[in-house]
Amino acid sequence: MKLTPTVPTGCNGIGNQPPRATGFQSAWSLVLLTIFFATGCGATPPAWFRPNMVKATKEKLSAQREQQVATIMLAMFGTPDDPVALPETGLDEAKLRLAAGPVRSNIVGRKNGLYREHCAHCHGITGDALGPTAAFLNPYPRDYRPGVFKFKSTERADKPTHSDLVRLLKNGAPGTSMPSFALLSETQIEALVEYVKYLSIRGETEFNLMGAFFELEGEEDELPLGRDFLVGEMLTPVTEKWAAAAGARIPVPEMPADLDLVASVAKGRALFYGDKANCVKCHGPTALGDGQANDFDDWNKPIVEWKKEIAGEKDSKFLARAHRVLDGDALKPRTIQPRNLRLGIYRGGRRPLDLYYRIHAGVNGAPMPAAKGTIPPEDIWDIVNYVRSLPYELDGELGADRPMVARDRF
Amino acid sequence: MPLIGTPNIVRSAVNWPHAVACLLVAVTALLLGFGALVTTYDAAMAVPDWPGTYGHNMFLFPLTQWLSGPWDLFLEHGHRLLGALVGVLSLLLAAVTWRRDAAPAVRALVIAAVMLVIVQGLLGGMRVLLDDKTVAKVHACTGPLFFAVAIAIATLTRRMPAALQINPPVRGVGFSTAGDSRLLPSWAVGAAVPKALVVAAYLQLVAGAQLRHIDATITIGAFRWMVVTHLVGAAMVTVLAALATFAWQPHEPVSARRWSWLILSMVFGQLLLGAGAWAFTSGVPVWLQGLWTPTEAVVARSPRGAIVITGHALLGMMILGSSVVMALEWGSAEALGGLIGPNRRRQGVAR
Repeated sequence: MKLTPTVPTGCNGIGNQPPRATGFQSAWSLVLLTIFFATGCGATPPAWFRPNMVKATKEKLSAQREQQVATIMLAMFGTPDDPVALPETGLDEAKLRLAAGPVRSNIVGRKNGLYREHCAHCHGITGDALGPTAAFLNPYPRDYRPGVFKFKSTERADKPTHSDLVRLLKNGAPGTSMPSFALLSETQIEALVEYVKYLSIRGETEFNLMGAFFELEGEEDELPLGRDFLVGEMLTPVTEKWAAAAGARIPVPEMPADLDLVASVAKGRALFYGDKANCVKCHGPTALGDGQANDFDDWNKPIVEWKKEIAGEKDSKFLARAHRVLDGDALKPRTIQPRNLRLGIYRGGRRPLDLYYRIHAGVNGAPMPAAKGTIPPEDIWDIVNYVRSLPYELDGELGADRPMVARDRF
Repeated sequence: MPLIGTPNIVRSAVNWPHAVACLLVAVTALLLGFGALVTTYDAAMAVPDWPGTYGHNMFLFPLTQWLSGPWDLFLEHGHRLLGALVGVLSLLLAAVTWRRDAAPAVRALVIAAVMLVIVQGLLGGMRVLLDDKTVAKVHACTGPLFFAVAIAIATLTRRMPAALQINPPVRGVGFSTAGDSRLLPSWAVGAAVPKALVVAAYLQLVAGAQLRHIDATITIGAFRWMVVTHLVGAAMVTVLAALATFAWQPHEPVSARRWSWLILSMVFGQLLLGAGAWAFTSGVPVWLQGLWTPTEAVVARSPRGAIVITGHALLGMMILGSSVVMALEWGSAEALGGLIGPNRRRQGVAR
């Protein structure tokens, strides 16, 4: 592991400005400028990992602390062009190198820079969901840094399994801007999944480190920045969760072979509108997603809350800095829209099994709660069957009592 | 399509400058197609060296490896070979143009074409050697500019301006006699429309190139600015194309009028392709999501997506090329206005 002393420094003088080209560094670019002034203002700046400025500013880390965090992150994880995978991460550096760096395909049968080719324009170089196109997408692209993933076969708080991420890449997320990468080779998909994990582990470790610096009482206090602390206390708690996910798949009881589908759908419908499952609260009495829609997901909520916090801030310098960070390092918060279940579009997969996972474990990061512990597994299958019938349910079949049930609820 | 007043004595001889210019336009269109596909598939770095290809002289790179190799290599090497061919054709065009004692304007354009093709080749090489997206953007802007110049040469060599002065057109021969709409306030404004369309179509390609060669390091604000610019550009091109089509003066050539209809239809096709390109790259726009949501995820790098995205870039270039032709044909009436006017007055042709 090699420490490089120079890391990007900047915004507010405290360490988050990209290393921009300072001018035209060679004669040819001057010629180009005279021909096409409108096309650019210098050579493309190198890719860099953007520090988590929301966390850093929220924790009021000093410029020196930010610099320390950036230097440590560089040493532990490398750069977007030259990633490092410490053995404790469990990541395959060869796969990372296939996904990292600029796009090139100069070796037969191999294409490097896959992440920048396929993902970075939305998810951002850092995996912070601040790619150039992010603000135009609804829902916003996933920010990997909190380590929270929605569509998986594990319990709500667990990480996804490797195959969950592979499946998501292959199928995409219908109803969102996330495309299917089914035409990529297995090797390429494996490399991308590995790189997503790398960005997520990196983001969570950075978050932990910033939190640890925040816990220090005085500016003169220091963290024990040795390997034991950085790897043992900052990195390992994150990687252990990823390692544990491999064997944490939710056990799913088989749907009874002699299942009476009509009865199951009717039972599922009763559960949908009933007190225990209470799906109607958010998905609405019509299941069009017209229920409660004033909540935020776990990516937007911290921004909303921080905005509320700083509203009463007296320090104008900090306030100006916070607003700069909110403008440049965070997306405008959006409320989460409960899913319209009558469209037949399921972002996490349309298999009955996928719906079972969603209902059993809820959707991590979203208000959708887990039914686990509240609804018995066989009843979850009934809700699955009812949900799957919703796109085909005709108005006449809804029954006169359905709105009554809905009205009873509210 | 008869051109304005082209005399029969010119038609009887082989018009080599025009023939070579037409060939240049055709090969350039193919070259642009390969270039657009190189961008769509992010294949620019499929060959790491330049001007050679994997250590071979570009022209001696084994044909079997090129044709049966990876798709990215096929595109990038094919783009290089076509680029070289365009370079050779440009030099050939310069030679035949000089031998034929062409008009000064044509000579100037040929010189511009030769210079542009050299610069463009160097830019292509720099894009690879420096692996720099800014160079890629400039390269993407020079290509359509060269195409526009090549089309202008092909149009002007066909027209034979010198002959026009000998044999000025008269009403009813190559001029529209119908549709005296006079929607535009004056002749000067009317003549400005096709020129403005050429400029707008080109600037729109420049704006599109910024979006096509998007670098993940740019900010959301910069991208938003690019998108807004491209949308405003699309609106401007559409308005200008509509003006060129509907706001006619009666003395414009029929051929230019036909071009205007072609351009307008291409612009509408382009708007559809633009929406499709957005859908294939960024999903359904937010404002449309309430009305329609596809049930399946878009497949990245699918042939359908590549056709739509690449087609959008190519159709933009075709709109530029057609606008150049229309502007030159429209301009012919304008340029000849001083000549024709007195002639027509002498001939008693009422306007």
